[in-house]
Amino acid sequence: MKTVSVRGLTKEFKLGRRRSQYRTVRGWFSRGTRRPAAPADARFMALEDVSFDACSGEILGIIGRNGAGKSTLLKILARILRPTSGHVELQGRVGSLLEVGSGFHGELTGRENIFLNAAILGMRHSEIVRKLDEIVEFAGIGQYLDQPAKNYSTGMYMRLAFSVAAHIEPEILLIDEVLAVGDAEFQKKCMQRIEQVGKHGQTVLFVSHNMQAMLRLCSRAVLIEEGKLVEQGPVTDVAATYLRVGGDNRGERRFPEGPFAPGDSVARLRHVRVRSRGGETLAAVELNQEFGIEMELDVDTPSMVLFPVLIVNNEWATEVLWCTDVDTEWHGRPRPTGRYRMVAWVPANFLSSGPMSITAAVYSLAPRVEHFREPDVVSFQAVETYGNETARGKFTGYIGSATRPKLEWSVDYQK
Amino acid sequence: MTVIDQSGISLAQKIAEYRRYRTLFVFLALRDITLRYRQTLLGVVWAVVQPILPMLIFTVIFARVLRPETGPVPYSLFALSGLVPWTFFASAINASGNTFAANHNLLNKVYFPRAILPGAAVAACVVDLIVGEVFLLILLLWRGYRPTLEWLWLPVIFLLTACLALAVGVALASLMALYRDVKHVTPFLVQLWMYATPVVYPIQLLSPKFRWAVDLNPMAGVVEAGRSCWFGTPVNWTLLAVSALSGILIAGAAALLFHHLETDLAERV
Repeated sequence: MKTVSVRGLTKEFKLGRRRSQYRTVRGWFSRGTRRPAAPADARFMALEDVSFDACSGEILGIIGRNGAGKSTLLKILARILRPTSGHVELQGRVGSLLEVGSGFHGELTGRENIFLNAAILGMRHSEIVRKLDEIVEFAGIGQYLDQPAKNYSTGMYMRLAFSVAAHIEPEILLIDEVLAVGDAEFQKKCMQRIEQVGKHGQTVLFVSHNMQAMLRLCSRAVLIEEGKLVEQGPVTDVAATYLRVGGDNRGERRFPEGPFAPGDSVARLRHVRVRSRGGETLAAVELNQEFGIEMELDVDTPSMVLFPVLIVNNEWATEVLWCTDVDTEWHGRPRPTGRYRMVAWVPANFLSSGPMSITAAVYSLAPRVEHFREPDVVSFQAVETYGNETARGKFTGYIGSATRPKLEWSVDYQK
Repeated sequence: MTVIDQSGISLAQKIAEYRRYRTLFVFLALRDITLRYRQTLLGVVWAVVQPILPMLIFTVIFARVLRPETGPVPYSLFALSGLVPWTFFASAINASGNTFAANHNLLNKVYFPRAILPGAAVAACVVDLIVGEVFLLILLLWRGYRPTLEWLWLPVIFLLTACLALAVGVALASLMALYRDVKHVTPFLVQLWMYATPVVYPIQLLSPKFRWAVDLNPMAGVVEAGRSCWFGTPVNWTLLAVSALSGILIAGAAALLFHHLETDLAERV
């Protein structure tokens, strides 16, 4: 049965309003005298003419880069935002898990938080009472139930929040990037929970950058790029398209100056590309060719120890490479403000062939802060080559490994 | 089936939604009450102390200097009978006025009927009103006042006060979502409003030139009516009717403002 039907959905933001967050009376009076931040009619199309359906029992994946419009879509379905045009038809109650724990309060006990949050998510009192034991059990906070939540560890806090959200039983469930929560074991529990929801005939719309979770949970997916729905179909096809196509900027992605680029007040991403030693941008890299992953970022707060991290994923969303800069003088050293251009050099004959996708991130530790993490920021093609200089050599069969290093071999021969 | 489009939902759907979310209303109000008195030594006694402290100040200073004519009623009881509803009104509009701005994170993440936030904030303050009025009742009985039939009107008057607080609170919350300046102006205006209301002085003290200000002020009517009921003086029905009318006007303006803002609250706040 069709439970979600989205037709021609469009959402336009007025930029001036969005940028200034809220207006002040002072702004009224000085409107004529001060230079406006954006032209009064500056608009931004977050979603443009998006149409798709989802059925009961289905887990539909929504794939796209940061800022593509996925969250806007979910917020419209959750009725937090109003569409500019188009319409949505929903059969049944909608529950959203857009960000777990929004309504938590440290002074309240675990039990009080459960009741309050379940009510925020739309549960009735009788339902909450019925589900209480299950929620506590799933979160694994048993003996701490009547302790104030401020005494909880971050892990307990997040587990409780997810547990409350996971036990609302709407016909349609919206999930936005929640699997980044908790330890590996708890994540597994979450995945199982979502799978179960799908099996009970509910509809799940699932947004995540975790392609492995996506491939495991969903059967069908839609791909959104710059507000437009560009592909829908079996999740394997859509995920492959997503990882293969880097938009118009193959092998390179530049972010606008100013605060709209990914990042925070400490570090902001400016530019990522795949390059050769000669400085040329590469959309495709031959396997027997050395290449560099270049990341340019601004550090705006001095004296922070920052860890730039680059990750390469293959088309099946397996991380084939994770690296941080331990090679230069900057490792573990506080950085003055300024622009840093860093290149990680990937040796020839290391990757396997296929579409590759780069994730760029910057962290600081103690406390661990993610200043930005831009999944699939740039994609490139690792191109098959044959011959003696390659790891494949004269072998022509299929190779399915994640990496394909050219290793040193030794052979002892006996007759 | 739910349809989401540009026009939003119908009034009937909205009412059904508020009914469905009544659990949230109750738990939000409970949260506010719990948080207000948790980790305090006196707990709910604060609901009594809050109007008593200004009463003492006004009795000691104001009554000695100005010697207001309060008839057979001792000034301290007279002041308290005005300060209890006023303290409720002031704290209720302050709490509910902040709700949209303070909960912008929640408004951006979860959908629920938005007016529940200011509504629950007012409801949480009603507990203080009840505790305060019960304290006043005990005080009156102790001082030899005997219950009269007029006392039966009191719950109705308190309900009116709460409705008025909700209307002003919703208007403030909506304005504050648009302009944070409102937050800084509010305490000053509330203070001014109190002196424009016959809370600590009898209405007769006001020169006739300023009587229009009292007529426009819906709080004047309910404070005066409450006091008349407590002390058995004749209720000024005209004043109460005018107050009710201006109250309805305020509620209408608040509803319009809120309706205009409601559907785009997440974007605006």
